[in-house]
Amino acid sequence: MGSALQIFRKSLPPAGLVARADFIQRDEVLVQIDENGRVTAFCGHVDLGTGIATSLAQIVAEELDAAPSQVRMVLGHTDSTPDQGATIASETIQISSRPILRAAAQARKILLARAAELTGCDSAALSFSSGVLTGGPADQPALTLGDLVRGMTLRVELDESTPVKAPADYKVVGKNQPRVDIPDKVTGRMVYVHDVRVDGMLHGRVIRPPYGGFDHGPFVGRALLDVDRASVAHIAGLVDVVVIGDFVGVVAEREEQAIAAAEALKVTWSPVAVPDLSDPAEALRQNPYEPRVVLDRGDVDSALDAVTHRMDREYFWPYQMHGSIGPSCSVASWQADELTVWSGTQNPHMLQADIAMLMGLPVASVRIVRHEAAGCYGRNCADDVGGDAALLSRAVGRPVRVQLTRMQEHVWEPKGAAQLVSIKGGLDETGAPVAYNLDTSYPSNVSPLLALVLTGVVPAEVPEIAQMGDRTSVPPYEYANARVTVKDMPPIARASWFRGVSALPNSFAHDSYIDELAAEAGIDPLEYRLRYLPDKRAAELLKATAARAEWQPRTEAPRPDPADRTLSGRGLAYALYVHGPFPGKPAAWSAWVTDVEVDRLTGEVSVTRAVVGQDAGLMINPAGVRHQLQGNVIQSVSRTLQEQVTFDKGGVESQEWGGYPIIQFPDVPKIEPVLMNRPEEPPLGAGESASVPSAAAIANALYAATGVRFRDAPFTPEKVKARLDEALGPLKPVPLSPVPPLALGGEPAKPAMAGLGFKGLLRRAGLGTAVAVAGGMLATLMPWRATIAPVAPPVPGMFSPEIIAKGKLVAAAGDCAVCHTAHGGVENAGGLALDTPFGTIYTTNLTPDPKTGIGQWSYAAFERAMRQGISRDGRHLYPAFPYTSFAKINDTDMQALYAYLMSQKPVEKQPPVTSLRFPYNMRFSLAGWNTLFHRTTPFVPDPARSEQWNRGAYLAEGAGHCSACHTPRNALGAERWQKNYLAGGEAEGWSAPPLSALSDSPLPWSEGDLYAYLRTGFSPNHGPAGGPMAPVVHAMSELPDDDVRAIAHYIASFDTRQTTIPVQSQREQFLARSASLQALEKGEGERIYKTACAACHEGEAAHLYGARPQLALNTNIQAENPDNIIRILLDGAPDPAHQTATTMPAYRNVFSDRQIAEILSFLRRTMAPDKNAWTDLTGQVSRIRAQGGH
Amino acid sequence: MAASVFLTVNGKQCEVEAAAGTPLLTILRNSLGLNGPKYGCGLGACGACTVLLDGKAARSCVVSVEAAGRCKNIVTLEGLSPDGSDPVQKAMVTAQAAQCGYCLNGMVMTLRAFLDAVPNPDEKALQEALRYNLCRCGTHVEIMRAARIAAGLEQEEER
Repeated sequence: MGSALQIFRKSLPPAGLVARADFIQRDEVLVQIDENGRVTAFCGHVDLGTGIATSLAQIVAEELDAAPSQVRMVLGHTDSTPDQGATIASETIQISSRPILRAAAQARKILLARAAELTGCDSAALSFSSGVLTGGPADQPALTLGDLVRGMTLRVELDESTPVKAPADYKVVGKNQPRVDIPDKVTGRMVYVHDVRVDGMLHGRVIRPPYGGFDHGPFVGRALLDVDRASVAHIAGLVDVVVIGDFVGVVAEREEQAIAAAEALKVTWSPVAVPDLSDPAEALRQNPYEPRVVLDRGDVDSALDAVTHRMDREYFWPYQMHGSIGPSCSVASWQADELTVWSGTQNPHMLQADIAMLMGLPVASVRIVRHEAAGCYGRNCADDVGGDAALLSRAVGRPVRVQLTRMQEHVWEPKGAAQLVSIKGGLDETGAPVAYNLDTSYPSNVSPLLALVLTGVVPAEVPEIAQMGDRTSVPPYEYANARVTVKDMPPIARASWFRGVSALPNSFAHDSYIDELAAEAGIDPLEYRLRYLPDKRAAELLKATAARAEWQPRTEAPRPDPADRTLSGRGLAYALYVHGPFPGKPAAWSAWVTDVEVDRLTGEVSVTRAVVGQDAGLMINPAGVRHQLQGNVIQSVSRTLQEQVTFDKGGVESQEWGGYPIIQFPDVPKIEPVLMNRPEEPPLGAGESASVPSAAAIANALYAATGVRFRDAPFTPEKVKARLDEALGPLKPVPLSPVPPLALGGEPAKPAMAGLGFKGLLRRAGLGTAVAVAGGMLATLMPWRATIAPVAPPVPGMFSPEIIAKGKLVAAAGDCAVCHTAHGGVENAGGLALDTPFGTIYTTNLTPDPKTGIGQWSYAAFERAMRQGISRDGRHLYPAFPYTSFAKINDTDMQALYAYLMSQKPVEKQPPVTSLRFPYNMRFSLAGWNTLFHRTTPFVPDPARSEQWNRGAYLAEGAGHCSACHTPRNALGAERWQKNYLAGGEAEGWSAPPLSALSDSPLPWSEGDLYAYLRTGFSPNHGPAGGPMAPVVHAMSELPDDDVRAIAHYIASFDTRQTTIPVQSQREQFLARSASLQALEKGEGERIYKTACAACHEGEAAHLYGARPQLALNTNIQAENPDNIIRILLDGAPDPAHQTATTMPAYRNVFSDRQIAEILSFLRRTMAPDKNAWTDLTGQVSRIRAQGGH
Repeated sequence: MAASVFLTVNGKQCEVEAAAGTPLLTILRNSLGLNGPKYGCGLGACGACTVLLDGKAARSCVVSVEAAGRCKNIVTLEGLSPDGSDPVQKAMVTAQAAQCGYCLNGMVMTLRAFLDAVPNPDEKALQEALRYNLCRCGTHVEIMRAARIAAGLEQEEER
């Protein structure tokens, strides 16, 4: 320490919530001033994005009379800040700022005394202003705080009796202060914990067990059966696979390697039955509890017996997520029994103790370095990931960064617990409340660090119970006979505190109930509340808020017109957030008056306006308080209207934003804050209060709009619509304007050689060709074929570069590499598995390797294979190899193709052997097949067609073998060319849609569409090339434009459908109809689509990158079966053909079968309304999922 | 298999080693040390990783490094201006448009691309432009104010 003044205190056991912290006795510096005038203040609470660093600096600057800009806050590092417990319950300003406030005042006093000494002035005449001495000698430069510290090394213990300023004297506190962190956040300079990089750092990922989102029960820590390390042996950069109990992690040099390893690692778990949370309210009713009476006033039981108008109600609040925008991340560095953890934790000192326990270290050997992270409003996975990083770092002896995935954060974050509140009570004849008997059930604990239970360090059999259901459980209204019982109960799903912990659901009940009482009594709800609200500040706030909103008294029950599509109403609610262990401490008061609109057709509720009053006493930074209020309003509107975690057999089902959608910009209400000006009153926490009355206010407004009470959040459109339809009768739907149907025009084309018999061939192609064909036909009759002698493998220079280049184009037209390259394998080295109705066929090695490839094949052998389907050794090839098409390739192209293939680099790789089941394994029987179905006829142009059409036909019917996938096959696997050419077939389990007038596409496939599709991989009128078509487009990228154009021209001649209006208008009308249907469909499928899919699929905005496929135009949505769309959802499009396409993620491990079914059902209803609904979608997804991905 | 990819990031040519299909986001952050773009979902749904590819807003978690290599210029938050002087960045500071700030990169980059394409939008258009950028802190009011300031719909006075 150089010159400095430090104010310190002996450490105290922390107040507030402490889980397992060890108390360490030490000196804790609170405020330090150095000779450069830098003021540093230390607080154990952290900034969660609430701007607390700015407000704390204001407090220190105020008491020190320093400039706010010279104060730097150090928050949460365990080495340097006091243990002040978890940063929860809005208590930082109210409680945790007190020591530094007094320390700053003490420092000011010491430095003023020093100034008096140095200047000879009376200290009473001296003061500081923005860190500069005033009242000193006029003939000397004014001393600064730094000047006064220079040469001083002083540690002074905090004197709790030091006087602090009176609020009337505040100059900095109470004024708007710009946030200190925003300039760095807006430029990318802020180092979030996600941005921490340490020398030698490796990257880790964890693999979580199958009890997603549950942290206690007999299976926790005991479900792992096996980890197959060999399954990741091939991954470059892999450093280690770490397994401890149910904790599984991988470590690699690079992050993408760690991701690849985590995805590839085969882990076997024993089957686990997680608790059933499909009906959380029922699960809460069944959960064991210990009753704790926190209020018992009057004689509730007798009063209940005497009630003339009994009103018993139950209110339900669902499991919700904190939903941090950034999944948690941490870096840990283990060195010789010392551990440093860089963390975004909300509870640094608790985490320090937890990790010490996990690692078997003394607490003092663990150091938490706290960085900012994504906001968390409670407890997310920030602590858990620190434990993960610590375990991995110890295992590999190097620093390790662990980033949780979005799915892991969603599934494993300790949820905001569901809550069930039941109230028994009622009115007397005068409309006065007689009794109020409230029970509240809150299943939560403080969620042990996940690694502690996964590794078995802490047993997870029986969870501890936290008494946290009591926040604001005592009603604010003076009911003469009132009893409040908190049913303390163990958690079911992993849960912890979330903004307005238990107070928001309790207030939802309190303030819904009093609204019901007022309505039943026929008294204005504002007046009714004021009658029973003894708290003067509360009443003043409520009145001020109602006045701003221009509240109109109402005594009549709402009478919505059942014919109105839009119903609107206004509601109010009030709450005082009481936090901390019972009886707790009050934070800011809050009141809401809110307006809602309900769309009867969709059930959608919009909160259009929220006038929100708050009394936070003295506001340190009024701008910060206003921002917190607005943030609370927006988040709680989102929670009330749409948020609920869903569960299935694997635990938490909501694994990403689609399954747990949050509010979007257009749905944000107009917010009008009413901030009570009370500078003389002590400052109160403002981080949560404004969220607490939200749900009741919205429910009350909904009642005012509709006459229906909603007592179970969230108020989703489907729930609201169903209840309003029941109460008011269904509303007549809006008629939709039809889209003109497509017309059929002109004669459909036929393939060039359709129906061309021997005579026709003789006529068209001449005698030589006809005789050759006849010879070929005779040859196909022979079941046993000769081996063609091996030749010496080709030597470089055997073929001219020109012929090789030409052959490369033939190979591109024929997409050889598409089938002859295994996933992730070397081009043309074979080994791709083709699933056919007859079994799995593995493609062969086409490189000129003499042993495993075609290195010993003469041209004669090659040509025979291509034209007749006979391997060099005389065996028949299966017609999955489309020699029926390749036979049409002309001699020049065939020779060029041979030259090209023979000039490739030989790759020695033996593909798996194809072994079909009987009788398909009898290859000689293919002779008969060939006789029936194969014509070895070379291509003969159709003289009635143009040169371009014939060029297209040659490429498409020959090398391009379009029909191999797009033409249906008969029972023996032969393409049905004569009548069903391009009428739709199958490829690798995907439907290959019809390319004829049978196409399901909403718009006809024009030549231009096909050209764009084949050339770029994307047609704006249809969509992207997906599934097995994507690699075809990749392969065709080598082909010259003219050839692609010719293929497009040729194929387009088969789709004779036409629009009756300009195509562009048809397109617009079709999309408009789909958009209006979507606007009328609100529900789960819509929510998932709008959140998870729409960012890439909705709108064609000029400022957005990527192809933006409009799903309404996609053939697969219109198709008879949903297989293709299911496949693309499960396995994504990792390598899209389009040059500026984004990749489509694979949702196999993200969405449940049910969620995919919901999306598909929504897409089908709104985008293909003329088609039959797809049935048993969940079953179909399950079936295709079981087939496995690529 | 890792291969070399050439990228032009914030005006500078650079060569990076990347396994095929690696998301651009991973490369920007880990190979180039650019912390502006953030990992938020890896599914293209939240917008926290937004960068500009040839001036268009792109979600770098779902753009492969190969696709990015075909772009003339990749701009990250750091490349908008060295000192936060881009009008969108300045408006965000004026409007105090961050709580945790994790989503802020996406808000800034999306607005930048949008205002370049649509210089005089109305408020509704601004809301729609940001629809698919998620913010959990509820900073929407301040972000919208920044958007209005950057779009010239509102003056820059401190509030």
